[in-house]
Amino acid sequence: MLIEVTKVENIKKTEIRYPFLPAPVEIYERENGHKIVFAKKEGGLVNISSWVKTGSINEDDEINGISHFLEHLMFKGTHKHPAGYFDRTLEAKGAIVNAATWKDYTYYYVTLPKGPDNAYFYEAIELHGDMMIDPVIPENEIGPAFELGDNTVKEKRERHVVIEEIRMRQDQPWTKVYNEANHNMYKKHPYKRDVIGFAETIASVPRETIMNYYHKYYTPNNITTIVAGDFDSEEILKRVVEAFDFKGRKNTPKNDFELDAPEAKYVENFAHINTGFSIIGWLGPVACSIKENIGLEIANIILGEGQSSRLYQNLIEKADEHIFNVVASDYYSFRDGGNFFVQANFKPEYKDKALSQMKTEVEKLAEVEEREFKKAVKKLKVRFAESAETVSDIADTIGYYMTVCDNIELVEEYQKELENITISDFKDIVKKYLPLEHAVVSVLMPEKKD
Amino acid sequence: MKKIYLENKIPVIFKENKNTPRLALCLYLKIEDQEKKAGLYSILNRLLLQGTSNRSAEDLARELDENAIECYSEMKHDFIRFKVLCLNEDIEKALEILEDIVKNSTMEDFSKEVEKMKGEIEAELDSPKSKAADAFYKTLFDGLAYGHTYTKTLEAVGNITKEEIQTAYKNLLEKSPKVISLVGDFDEADMISKLNKYFGTLTNPPKEANDDDCAQLTDNKTVTVEKSDASQAQIFQGWRVPTIFDKDYPVLLLLNTILGSSGLSSRLFVELRDKKGLAYVVRSSYEVYDKAAAFSVYIATEPKNIKTSLDGFAFEINRIKTTPVDETELENAKNNLIGKRQFFTETNLQQSSLYSFYEDKGLGYDFEEKLIAAVKNVSSKDIQRAANEYLKDPHVLTVLAPGEYLEF
Repeated sequence: MLIEVTKVENIKKTEIRYPFLPAPVEIYERENGHKIVFAKKEGGLVNISSWVKTGSINEDDEINGISHFLEHLMFKGTHKHPAGYFDRTLEAKGAIVNAATWKDYTYYYVTLPKGPDNAYFYEAIELHGDMMIDPVIPENEIGPAFELGDNTVKEKRERHVVIEEIRMRQDQPWTKVYNEANHNMYKKHPYKRDVIGFAETIASVPRETIMNYYHKYYTPNNITTIVAGDFDSEEILKRVVEAFDFKGRKNTPKNDFELDAPEAKYVENFAHINTGFSIIGWLGPVACSIKENIGLEIANIILGEGQSSRLYQNLIEKADEHIFNVVASDYYSFRDGGNFFVQANFKPEYKDKALSQMKTEVEKLAEVEEREFKKAVKKLKVRFAESAETVSDIADTIGYYMTVCDNIELVEEYQKELENITISDFKDIVKKYLPLEHAVVSVLMPEKKD
Repeated sequence: MKKIYLENKIPVIFKENKNTPRLALCLYLKIEDQEKKAGLYSILNRLLLQGTSNRSAEDLARELDENAIECYSEMKHDFIRFKVLCLNEDIEKALEILEDIVKNSTMEDFSKEVEKMKGEIEAELDSPKSKAADAFYKTLFDGLAYGHTYTKTLEAVGNITKEEIQTAYKNLLEKSPKVISLVGDFDEADMISKLNKYFGTLTNPPKEANDDDCAQLTDNKTVTVEKSDASQAQIFQGWRVPTIFDKDYPVLLLLNTILGSSGLSSRLFVELRDKKGLAYVVRSSYEVYDKAAAFSVYIATEPKNIKTSLDGFAFEINRIKTTPVDETELENAKNNLIGKRQFFTETNLQQSSLYSFYEDKGLGYDFEEKLIAAVKNVSSKDIQRAANEYLKDPHVLTVLAPGEYLEF
């Protein structure tokens, strides 16, 4: 439960217990909706992050890739500081500076030593806030719009950097086979789009469209700023509030999307590779359905995580024939419904056998033994200890709950559900989400040997 | 932090980090005889987790997982390193399992493990970057075990016998000097007693002075790899440079920071990515082994940009050779390098790994402090001198791209 501790000015403070941290996590909510979260961890390093509730979920075909492109352009200067100042200044203090974009969120972070009398720490808060609130996104940094394939382009700037990132992903077989599965799992929901978007869009999207997108989604109620480390809350709260002056920026209305009904599908593509790649995927529950998420995390551990997992043991270790080179599973949790998938690399001549054996292992998940169920639960408990080891991991976990689940209380609910979940609950969850008749199968096969 | 010795003189580095829930332990086994056949120690390393005389591979994996103990080994040509992470209360169990793995591995699944490894390598070589890196390192380190890449391993692994693996394992146990480090929240006296119980009887010979001649790079070498459907060219250019044992180690660390490893503000990043839009990934690296080291620059770019990228590399390398780095840039690079070391030594496991690495090299577990002091003393002249001395021919250039772009 959230406990209201006090009211300071117009900021509401609440606290939650967070496993393996020496003090409760403090959540401050400003009147404009901007949330600030403090997590305490001893040591000389601090992490300052801002998580924005936008990603490819807010894109359509016209602007697919804009969230990620904007993330790159946020580093291109403010009215106070030119492009490069932020990176140069903070990296000269030993900072790790970067950002990432995913389907539900975009986040920006700085991890650095606090410096003498917290000097680096204070400067990082100021520069991070300035970047988040006042990006200029100058035309000369975006670079002129161009048509793909036009070899006469001279001025190559950030559009070209992102297009190179797209090319890099086109050369990765795992990315290719996953994207194809993803695109066929989510038929209507914006999750169907790859976060990075299309080179054509990045080459031509005008600055005005990018700025409009920024103003629409980088709003107080869409942003959570997290500070993790060893510091005085009162002092840092004052500084974060000062750095994040939204100047009355209008908030973002909540978006709702129709969820897809699961449906089986088979897609096969080809590339110049020597081995076969496959993803078999299923749609999962909404992120805030904690017990169901735990159920699929358990399924993932039992089925495909590590060398004791069933997929590894049954399809590689104890296999009569050498069919698989790699086989594993994974689970991605998204706000409106995540996805669970089994992934494999196999000898291409055994494609049919490979797919059939992968499906059989999923089908057998309902026959779970108490021993392997307990193993999975213990592993999930330890994961919290692991994620409390660095200021960056603490901030990431908090950012996820604040942004994707919109509710950090779920950290406490997660602990409770993990204690209470039974084998019977687990079987129900597997039955509901992983039936073979809903499996989307994506295969990438060799076309020509190099 | 302190160093004690077990009954068999294995040095143990202890560092107490109170109120941390997981203990981290590293155990180093130094490889005194480098492999002649590519893949020998890779297979041995894999077989170390494939069953003991007391536990099958499946039992081992299950027991580790059921106790949420992470235990794995890594082979880095100069050593095999075990890393163990567990909740504080599970340390006795973790040590008992580790002892069993170290002392009683059976190497029974030799043939199966070879097949599994070949399959994993084939899957990895479907990545253009891995394929290009493979061609680059096997050329740069030709004649050394450090050049035993994926493709070299595929070529040689068929000639390795189970007996050779068993001999290598026996030698590792009997001839290898060992180092242990433990970081976390523990009782020192209790841990000394436990470590003596499990590892106090291992053979631990003194380190041998090893002055073998090391195969050198004598000519420039250009290797092209054709991949007809590659969207990007993969370009590696590199030089053989001094190792961690050389007085220029801190200078090379700073040269790498300035040129291409400081994050978003390095010269290659700003000039080739930000200003020219040539790449998403462009960087320099400095990779150090005991007998050799590599300094390299890398870019992944649209194939038509190969020449522009190579010209960009040449320009930046020439600039650092001919124009002294100004004091501000040098100071920033020092702060970046020193500050980031805190980030990379934040967890118990990272600390354990670093201290035992230094101890294994004979540099002393407290080498980090000496290194930081040495970094602070590097001058602009040192950087310029090192750039001229080390980033000169012979070099190796590897380019992967569709065939029509390989004439550059």
